[in-house]
Amino acid sequence: MTTDARRRPGIERAFAIAAVVGGVLAIIAGSPTRPTRGSVDVTELARIVEHEEDHVTATELAKWIRDDKRGLRVLDIRADSEFEDFHVPGATRVPLAEIARMSLDSAGTYVLYSEGGTHAAQGWFLLRARGVKNVFFLRGGLYEWLEQVMNPHVASTTPQAVRDSIRAITLWFGGKMTVVDSATTATPSALDGELSAPHRSDARESIRKIRRRAC
Amino acid sequence: MMAPLYEFGRFGDGMGLVIAVLLGIAFGWFLEQGGMGNARKLAGQFYFTDLSVLKLMFSAIVTAMLGLFWLSWAGLLDLSRVYVPETFIAPQLVGGLVFGVGFATGGLCPGTSCVAAATGRKDGLALIAGMFAGVFVFGEAFPAIGHFADSTARGAWTLPQAVGLSYGTVVGVIVAVALGAFAGAEWLERRAERPARRMKIAA
Repeated sequence: MTTDARRRPGIERAFAIAAVVGGVLAIIAGSPTRPTRGSVDVTELARIVEHEEDHVTATELAKWIRDDKRGLRVLDIRADSEFEDFHVPGATRVPLAEIARMSLDSAGTYVLYSEGGTHAAQGWFLLRARGVKNVFFLRGGLYEWLEQVMNPHVASTTPQAVRDSIRAITLWFGGKMTVVDSATTATPSALDGELSAPHRSDARESIRKIRRRAC
Repeated sequence: MMAPLYEFGRFGDGMGLVIAVLLGIAFGWFLEQGGMGNARKLAGQFYFTDLSVLKLMFSAIVTAMLGLFWLSWAGLLDLSRVYVPETFIAPQLVGGLVFGVGFATGGLCPGTSCVAAATGRKDGLALIAGMFAGVFVFGEAFPAIGHFADSTARGAWTLPQAVGLSYGTVVGVIVAVALGAFAGAEWLERRAERPARRMKIAA
């Protein structure tokens, strides 16, 4: 019942030998991933950082996403649970270690963000070292996104045209713009990208509010 | 199977479905070619008279394992983006036993029952009906057994993590085990064949 006329022992032996060779070499290779080496032009990187060309503001990123910028990939390098909670629309969650070995599109534009700015800045360096030219990060992290895009506070003295453009972006992402009396305004953040880092609990509260709205 | 290309957005959902259908047809075709749509042949596995299933499954495992290992090594495939089903030790032990009982009595597993049904075998159709009935019963009973079904979770747990050896060593060991299993299976099959021949001669 098993003697099949179609069986060819020669082919079976060849497959067995191929499997043995593959298996033995695998033991020698040890790991299926090889160390990823990159090189950087230190002077150039220093210049980029010096000229602040290494980051985007949340508002700029929002415009890129809205305008469907070609080759844009937004990478979220926070923990999985935080990503599930809330993330920038269209972002992919990528652990920092992953950035060292993930496949890259060297012509693409990568934007990294973390909770604050540190991990994203480190990821920026890794991607530059791996040869990607267009890499940016959100200096203020997700806080900046929440403050500038989802929940901007705009002074009542702000010119109408600027206010309208901010409102348009905020509405596009399902956020809510608040106009505050110029006397009490302390957040010109939506305009110049400068940000006083809010407390962690504030960010949590913003996330909760946004999620409620989204539901 | 198409995970890496799909993951990188090389094609959309529609194209993904088309490719899934083509892969599915090819899968069924080759299962049928290997005789896997025949319940008698499959049941032979449990009587140690025909170990085609073991040989086929182990060949597929070794081929995929070596392919994934070396494609990753060559930098062509990102292993971390290949989906690893999660492990739940106790419920999967129980589920495996239920599956085994069904496999041994019906002579077909879910995939091969579809293959059998596609060629018009009635036992294949009956087993597909049974499969859907089982899915329905499981879904209805889930509130009662859900607690057990979610217990002893280990997440995406791979052999290298479980045994604490390097990926390559595990690959080498599995290749050795597979080749040993092939040799053992052939020996069992030859042993099962001999008395049958003698009986024929006697008759």
